[in-house]
Amino acid sequence: MKDTAETVLGLLPRDVAYADVRVVERTHELVLVEHEGPGDVMRENSLGVGVRVVIGGQWGFAATHRLDLKGLTAAVSEAVAQARAADGGAKIALGQPVTTRARWSSPMAVDPFTVPLSGKLDLLAAAVAEARTAGPLLRQIEASMDFFRDDKVFANTEGALIEQTITESGAGLMAVASDYDDVQRRSFPQAVPRSIRGQRGQFATAGYEHIPALRLVEEAARVGADAVALLSAPQCPDQNSTLVVTGAQLAMLLHECAGHPMEADRALGSEVSLAGGTYASPERRGTFRFGSPIVSVHADATIPGALGSYAYDDEGVAAQRTELVKDGVFTGYLSGRESAATLGQESSGAARADGWQRIPLVRMTNLCLEPGDSSLAEMIDGTKRGVLMDMTKSVSIDDQRLSFRLGAEAGWEIRDGKLGRLLKNCTYSGVTPRFWADCDALGNRDEFQVHGIPSCNKGEPLQVAHIGHGTVPARFRSVQIGTR
Amino acid sequence: MSIDHRQVQSALDIMGPGTHVDLSQERTGLLRYARSRVTAQHSEERLRVRVRLTEGGRTALGTLETLEPTEVKALCDRLRSALALLPAHSDEPDASPRSASGTDPVAPKVAAATLGAGPADRHAWFSAVRDGLAGTAQLGGSIRHDVIHRVVADHSGLYRKETLTKASLQAVAERDGRSSSVRLVHRDAARIDPTDVARRLLDDLTDLPERTPVRGTFRVLLRPQAVVTLLATYGYVALGAAGYAEGRTAVAGRMGSRVTSDLLTITDDGTDPAGLASGFDPEGTPRRLTRLVDNGVLTGVVSDLRRADVTGGSSTGHAVPAGWRFGADPSPSHLLLAGGENTEEELAAVCGTGLVISRLDYLRILHPKDTLVTGTTRDATYWIHDGEPVAWQPSVRLTFRMDEVLDTVLAVGSRRERGEAVFMESVVAPALLVDAGPISL
Repeated sequence: MKDTAETVLGLLPRDVAYADVRVVERTHELVLVEHEGPGDVMRENSLGVGVRVVIGGQWGFAATHRLDLKGLTAAVSEAVAQARAADGGAKIALGQPVTTRARWSSPMAVDPFTVPLSGKLDLLAAAVAEARTAGPLLRQIEASMDFFRDDKVFANTEGALIEQTITESGAGLMAVASDYDDVQRRSFPQAVPRSIRGQRGQFATAGYEHIPALRLVEEAARVGADAVALLSAPQCPDQNSTLVVTGAQLAMLLHECAGHPMEADRALGSEVSLAGGTYASPERRGTFRFGSPIVSVHADATIPGALGSYAYDDEGVAAQRTELVKDGVFTGYLSGRESAATLGQESSGAARADGWQRIPLVRMTNLCLEPGDSSLAEMIDGTKRGVLMDMTKSVSIDDQRLSFRLGAEAGWEIRDGKLGRLLKNCTYSGVTPRFWADCDALGNRDEFQVHGIPSCNKGEPLQVAHIGHGTVPARFRSVQIGTR
Repeated sequence: MSIDHRQVQSALDIMGPGTHVDLSQERTGLLRYARSRVTAQHSEERLRVRVRLTEGGRTALGTLETLEPTEVKALCDRLRSALALLPAHSDEPDASPRSASGTDPVAPKVAAATLGAGPADRHAWFSAVRDGLAGTAQLGGSIRHDVIHRVVADHSGLYRKETLTKASLQAVAERDGRSSSVRLVHRDAARIDPTDVARRLLDDLTDLPERTPVRGTFRVLLRPQAVVTLLATYGYVALGAAGYAEGRTAVAGRMGSRVTSDLLTITDDGTDPAGLASGFDPEGTPRRLTRLVDNGVLTGVVSDLRRADVTGGSSTGHAVPAGWRFGADPSPSHLLLAGGENTEEELAAVCGTGLVISRLDYLRILHPKDTLVTGTTRDATYWIHDGEPVAWQPSVRLTFRMDEVLDTVLAVGSRRERGEAVFMESVVAPALLVDAGPISL
């Protein structure tokens, strides 16, 4: 791979002002067991090279799976032709050169690709069997494991040469109950908003040791029973009330309200025809009130074992911690080299590409909400009337990341400081700064957990990023809650 | 660039009985722009080989990006080892039959203009739209050309191939916090005319006063791209055979009953050039016309080989790719909503007073069985009175039941637009005038 990268650099014409090359081999294993037997055992392998050039201040990018000299030459020619075809406009600036030479592998105790398939199947089958004890109303059960390995070489014309190997593991369970009039689901340990097959649950930059620690088998019967119980639960009543959310529910809320809006490329308009713009415009840095003074948010790609952790991003910039919201005020952006230079700052090391065939985009790393000094139990105890919601079932937010509506898999009534009835079809809506301004309690550091989700979509062609969300339970006052 | 038949046959020989392969060799060229300047260019070529090995009712899947025999052999060995560990699956067919009907697929025309498109062509389109705006609005969007060579084959002799081309132009104009958009997509780049895009964008950036939303319900005129999103979401959640058979969808058990307004006729037809035609699904079953809703009455759902029992014993040709991220159940691929007789101006006149919505954005399912969704309006959204635009409406959140919206259609537009969804190859839809009731603020 290193030789391939060096070969590509050697093929560049003289008028290339900057170029980088990434050679990436990605291996993915999915093991999925369903209600009625094995679903999928899937092994994916992808190896290729992407080359990015700047000529005359304009970008060109080409990617190919053909790693022979002919294929590499064609890719370089294509990237160069693109850059030369550009018709002027603002020149690309990338800030300080990146010259790092390094090797890094993410830590792991057990290589998941060496663990026998039989053991994985046995664990998932046991989880499904436990979930099935909830009875015949349980129509669909999926228990799955996913393992990813990226072997990457990055090299650029500034002298950088970085080799990284990142291994990720995750597993989860979803149970769907139906009585013909209704359909309800529960997930564990984490939900995904859409009906994505596999790639559900809790993910970490870790080896197979992460899997048994999730306790899928131990929790499966409860998950199945919860899904069935939701069928006969009352609808979540429409009300303006207090909302308490678990950390698992808060992950996607934080993702949509603070993560995407504070990506610098988005703030510079590059997503306007796709996901849209953002309320977090550059002139609002340092003054715009995102939330109440107890709300602080940062992104940290250096958290050991978290899914959004790495040593260097796909532009060779070192992983780092970046402040986004401080004491309720929007303060900064996730960025890559180009977007940072445009904003007059240093890259936050958050440019990542989904494989060899995509250009690096600004992506979330591990988006973290600073813990507070409360706890879930205290929040419930201090709530006269409200609803507790757990696990995200659906997410929708407008193109400026302001008006949102989230659905939860399950809710519970709160009355006079006590949890009451199970509620189904719970949703809540709000407008980002108003909603977060009413955040009056956050769980403490003991309740902090990073939720790893391998399914964040962005860009065209679509790129899927693996990211973490460090959250705690939280409470919000005066929230519009209900079914519709 | 094409897929070598001999290499495919060699791979099938290496992998042996029970092997099914779905290959695509893809070449993509893309130009992206924001704030009226180019922000990214992208060229990609890749080979995707999706392998399904079936043995004794057990299935293992794998993907590769090469047909190199040693790599194929290594994957095959890995999958055979996996198969040996799996218990038998009761309802998985052992191998793909050639097709239920035995007919040959209809091959879509290969568009030379798309095949030959390069960076200069994309820049020319971009310049045409940007210059047409004459600096009066900021331009964002993308221009893309795709060429995909597909082969679906199996060890028992199935071999289908086709070449698909696609050209698309997405343009968003922004001015003073308001936006309008145009999306054009066609198999043939020569059928996309960028010269009229700027005018359409500017026409929609109307200089109307802004209105603060008033709570209540009202008539809604959904323009074609809004209907594309609505129909794609409805089709995905309601019109698949697996969900129908398991009682998970809104239309389950209602075959032969009215499920929408009698003004609506919905089909799925991968052979219709009105959409982005393709010849066969990932199992190799030829695409064909599948009637779903006839004048409001449910007449069918879409199936694959595994769920063919729901559709009279033969697959309708709606298998999804192995390992598809949106699920394993059969799903509509080429939805078409029949056009009506009214121009959009006539629909506006019939509407009288109401909201015109150009796009629905981030439409997400809150409850699949109820077809309850939430999303927002995006780009040109405005109020009309006596059929004439009177006020601009900023983006607003709407939560509604799709079946109720489709049941209260008052009139159907005659002009249809082609669109896409991430979980659907194409959708063709006209504007719909929806009565007051299901959509409210």
